[in-house]
Amino acid sequence: MASKAGMTPATYSPSPTTGKNKPPLFKEDSTRPDGRDFHQCRPAFLRTGAVNAASGSAYAEFGNTKVIVSVFGPRESKKAMMYSDTGRLNCNVSYTTFATPVRGEGSDHKEYSSMLHKALEGAIILESFPKTTVDVFALVLQSSGSDLPVVISCASLALADAGILMYDLVASVSVSCLGKNLVIDPISEEENSQDGSLMITCMPSRHEITQLTVTGECSTSKIKEGMQLCLDACAKLANVMRSCLKESSSDAHGLDNESS
Amino acid sequence: MKLKFRMYSVVGMVGLSLGEQHFIQGGIAQDLRCDGRKRLTYRPIHVETGVIPQANGSARIRIGATEVIASVKAELGKPSLSQPDKGKVFIYIDCSSTAEPAFEGRGGEELSAELSTALHCCLLGAKSGAGAGIDRTSLVVEGKICWDLYIDGLVVSSDGNLLDALGAAIKAALSNTGIPSVKVTAGAASDEQPEVDISDEEFLQFDTSGVPVIITLTKVGREYIVDATPEEESQMSSAISISVNKKGHICGITKRGGAGLDPSVILDMVSVAQYVSGKLMNKLDSEIASAEAEDES
Repeated sequence: MASKAGMTPATYSPSPTTGKNKPPLFKEDSTRPDGRDFHQCRPAFLRTGAVNAASGSAYAEFGNTKVIVSVFGPRESKKAMMYSDTGRLNCNVSYTTFATPVRGEGSDHKEYSSMLHKALEGAIILESFPKTTVDVFALVLQSSGSDLPVVISCASLALADAGILMYDLVASVSVSCLGKNLVIDPISEEENSQDGSLMITCMPSRHEITQLTVTGECSTSKIKEGMQLCLDACAKLANVMRSCLKESSSDAHGLDNESS
Repeated sequence: MKLKFRMYSVVGMVGLSLGEQHFIQGGIAQDLRCDGRKRLTYRPIHVETGVIPQANGSARIRIGATEVIASVKAELGKPSLSQPDKGKVFIYIDCSSTAEPAFEGRGGEELSAELSTALHCCLLGAKSGAGAGIDRTSLVVEGKICWDLYIDGLVVSSDGNLLDALGAAIKAALSNTGIPSVKVTAGAASDEQPEVDISDEEFLQFDTSGVPVIITLTKVGREYIVDATPEEESQMSSAISISVNKKGHICGITKRGGAGLDPSVILDMVSVAQYVSGKLMNKLDSEIASAEAEDES
């Protein structure tokens, strides 16, 4: 059994919804609600081969955010689509109804599908599968902050598991501005009260950013600092992803050796 | 290996021959684009406000041949539970099939969703409302009632640079918006719907000094251009849309288009956008002011 990349919290207990009085912003002594440092990411648990029927799949748990991604393809494109000498990428991100504390709130995030598409299309070598389509389906099982970055990282792991040719693994991290502080990998309480956010998707080995989204008013120096934080975190995350892939492929190799 | 991506596949456009592609790329490298502009020059911008009488505010903007119409309608509603001290703003973009035959039916849906998301990100800022272009706390009438602003953008004619045109049109429409003043009758029980009296006469002008402009920088080869035409957009490797407000602060950045970019390039594009935004903001403000003056006369 492959060892986990980091410790995951033991149990998940839903936070009781308070009625009128919201607790004040939690920054009493500059610690975050889950005890992390400002510049510390959540421990990541990554596993490929979660779905048997898919060409490739991956499951990721970053703290309480749990995502599963399946990749199907390359499959024949629908007849209605035009001939194309490069491959096509079709992405879909959906939330389960129980993913958010309030049932059904996940349908607010319809734009995540196109953002996932933009993040991945720069990394996949589309010319390697002409006339066919690769489908990436992401399902957010539990949403607890920083959903889209986790979906993107998990999707690139699933694509690697499916054997789709890529320029590099895609890692994604987001940073939240809370007052004057930049906190990395925010959880949903921090996201709801943030003053600004910066999400970066990059290919660490090529040192290229495939997607960048900044919301809220930020000065250029904050953007620079945020970008630097994210790029460092992405590089570390990509190493974790790579070691996960190595373990799963050496597992498969080990099993083959045993059976033969 | 050269990666060429299209921001959106425009089926109606005739493909470019290799010679034309080299001409566009070479021209941009030498600071002379196909229509004679410099890299950082916009096409002429025409603004008309008050084009839709039934809406609370509206504007029509033409940048070159790109034409968009934005309308703002305000309706009374209840503030959301998670943010009781703010009104709500909804931005919808519709790409009409008069712009491109490919936009008929569901064809334009993907582009509309992408534009709506980018505008949301640039104009509405973070969830806590800080740093947003539109101040949502000014939309609250009283405790349980707030104004819901529905901002609708319509792309009538598409000739490149849709996002900038829509951002400018929304800015113009918001400065044209008049929100009727509301009197709430006191004494209603806390659970019941309070009675409101919407006056037809008095209007409050929306404060748009904080609304940013959106600048899309398209990277072709090693240079960046502003206000790209569809031919230039087809040659781009990637593009970044940056929204900058009057104080020169960045209010939102979205990267569009596929290829990867080095972080230093992105920071360089941000500073170029800040430089260009000063001129564009002044031009837009003067155009909007003259359009409003014409409207009143």
